[in-house]
Amino acid sequence: MNKSDFKLIGIIVIVFLIIMLGFRLFEKKGEKVARVYYQNEMVLEIDLSDKSYREYNVNGYNGNVLIISENGKVRVKEEISPLHLCSKQGWIDSSYETIVCLPNKIIIKIETSQDLDAIVR
Amino acid sequence: MQKYKGYFLLLIITILLIIMIITSDKQLNEYSHNLFYMDTYINVKVYSNNKIKAKKVLNEVEKIYEKYHQLTDRYHAYDNIKNIYYINNNTDNIETITIEKELYDIIKYGIDFYEKSNGLLNINIGNVIDVWKKYRESKNGVPTYEELKSSGSINVSDIVLLDNNQILNNHPNIDLGAIAKGYVTQIVGNYLKEQGFNKFLIYAGGNVLVGDHYKNDVYKIGIENPTKSGDIYKIVKSNNMAVVTSGGYERFYEYEGNIYHHIIDPNTLMPPNYMKSVTVITNDSALGDALSTTLFLMSIEEGKEYIKQFNNVEAIWYTNDNTIIKSDGFDKYE
Amino acid sequence: MELKKFTRLTMLLSLSVVLNIFESFIPLFNGFIPGLKLGLANSIVLMVLYLFSFKDAIYISILRVFMVGILRIGLFSVTFCFSLGGAILSVISMALAKKYTKLSIIGVSIVGSIMHSIGQILVAIIILKTYNIIYYLPWLLIFSIPTGIFIGVISKELVKYFEKRLKLL
Repeated sequence: MNKSDFKLIGIIVIVFLIIMLGFRLFEKKGEKVARVYYQNEMVLEIDLSDKSYREYNVNGYNGNVLIISENGKVRVKEEISPLHLCSKQGWIDSSYETIVCLPNKIIIKIETSQDLDAIVR
Repeated sequence: MQKYKGYFLLLIITILLIIMIITSDKQLNEYSHNLFYMDTYINVKVYSNNKIKAKKVLNEVEKIYEKYHQLTDRYHAYDNIKNIYYINNNTDNIETITIEKELYDIIKYGIDFYEKSNGLLNINIGNVIDVWKKYRESKNGVPTYEELKSSGSINVSDIVLLDNNQILNNHPNIDLGAIAKGYVTQIVGNYLKEQGFNKFLIYAGGNVLVGDHYKNDVYKIGIENPTKSGDIYKIVKSNNMAVVTSGGYERFYEYEGNIYHHIIDPNTLMPPNYMKSVTVITNDSALGDALSTTLFLMSIEEGKEYIKQFNNVEAIWYTNDNTIIKSDGFDKYE
Repeated sequence: MELKKFTRLTMLLSLSVVLNIFESFIPLFNGFIPGLKLGLANSIVLMVLYLFSFKDAIYISILRVFMVGILRIGLFSVTFCFSLGGAILSVISMALAKKYTKLSIIGVSIVGSIMHSIGQILVAIIILKTYNIIYYLPWLLIFSIPTGIFIGVISKELVKYFEKRLKLL
């Protein structure tokens, strides 16, 4: 390894830190919902402020995708795909995380709901 | 030395960035507490960096709700607590009952509001409420005026508060349902402010009370369409406000195509039918709760005139024809 | 001569395909963060880049993606497009880094690793029409340092070993 290599590594680390700082500063806080998209169409919205254990079945490209949510987090439990990448990814809970299930064309994003702080009924 | 200048610079930038990342996390954390008291799901959120204090305060908040829940409960007795049930069902041969100051104050608030509401907000309406509750639970039929009238006295003058937190043992049938939720929510809001938690949100069903926003300029509170769950018909924006709805999705039952609400007009002894819901926006949750019930019991035109005597009170009505009527100064919340 | 070179490149190509498939069996590099890979096959590409030419490196790189596509992930599937995008960007940037910077083979390997991630993400943004996957970028960046160094060290040894022997043959 020579001097240029170390400089390259230094620059990568700094770029990494700058991007992380950016994500931190712009992370949305508030009432969170997980939105499930199939081929870019929203097919399901999960209220993550409800902490109880819940199961959802969504139709993916290869068949059924089982999504579960609990404690403000959401994950894919079962899916029909060769590598099961998105069920291996596990839980996500922050607004810059995404689960992408390529074979099933399913994307799960965490977003803030409607921008409202509360609803009176 | 010159040789290492570049590395040194990289190192400093790295350290600076790490510090920035750590400090950027000093964004306020949300501490949320879910409760179930007074027949309502209650959610209290405070925003703070002090986890220990936030948890402590939220525990204290739970105690406040629990205490008021027990004090205002008219269906159950609790050990060592003289609550509404105790007062309503007291058969002891005694002149007066000494109650806790908290209960004394909330009863006094209710009695005072009887005057202010021109006799519409009646906290001695328990006898009539009980008859309606029986019909609501069986969902079978509607009580006649005679049955309601003969259920007992609803004179607020039956409730006689004396000095030193005493109440005359005069066998009233107190029901604080119209004011208790808003009243205790305001107590909790005051407590949070005293403890230095100005940034908070209390959700208690039809009652929402907010302090300062934790991140944005103002809170945005949606008011739900009383005919369609999940549909927001108005968004109000402000800090330090109480938003209270009467009507909407509160307890009611349907019989032969008519909807019978749990809010009872003390004059007709029937649920009113002036509107589908009314929402009051003010800075005091207790006042908001009392006013929203009062407004639900008068026509919209009367209500618009009526609230002019209060400072800082605005209201929005969802009429029976599914239109929306706003009070004159409502714009400032839009 | 031409036949000799052709044979060698073919063997290297099959080796890179095997390494690529072998790598997918290592559990840590299997779905921890989407797109995160050790990149064992990249050591072959690097070696070709240093011992043969830029053109040969591109051939090896692209052919490898197609072969893995045929053998495992399916030609022109979404994952295939990701791999292709990553591989092309990676090999071009490695060639440029080798020619125009003072980086050693380890540095070039890190560049290749990073560009592989960026290439995949760019293709993903185009195909999936979502910008959210960009949030994986910093993690792919930071993990490209250890994987890049690891692959770089392996490639360095490979180049050293074959440099003399290839001339002898």
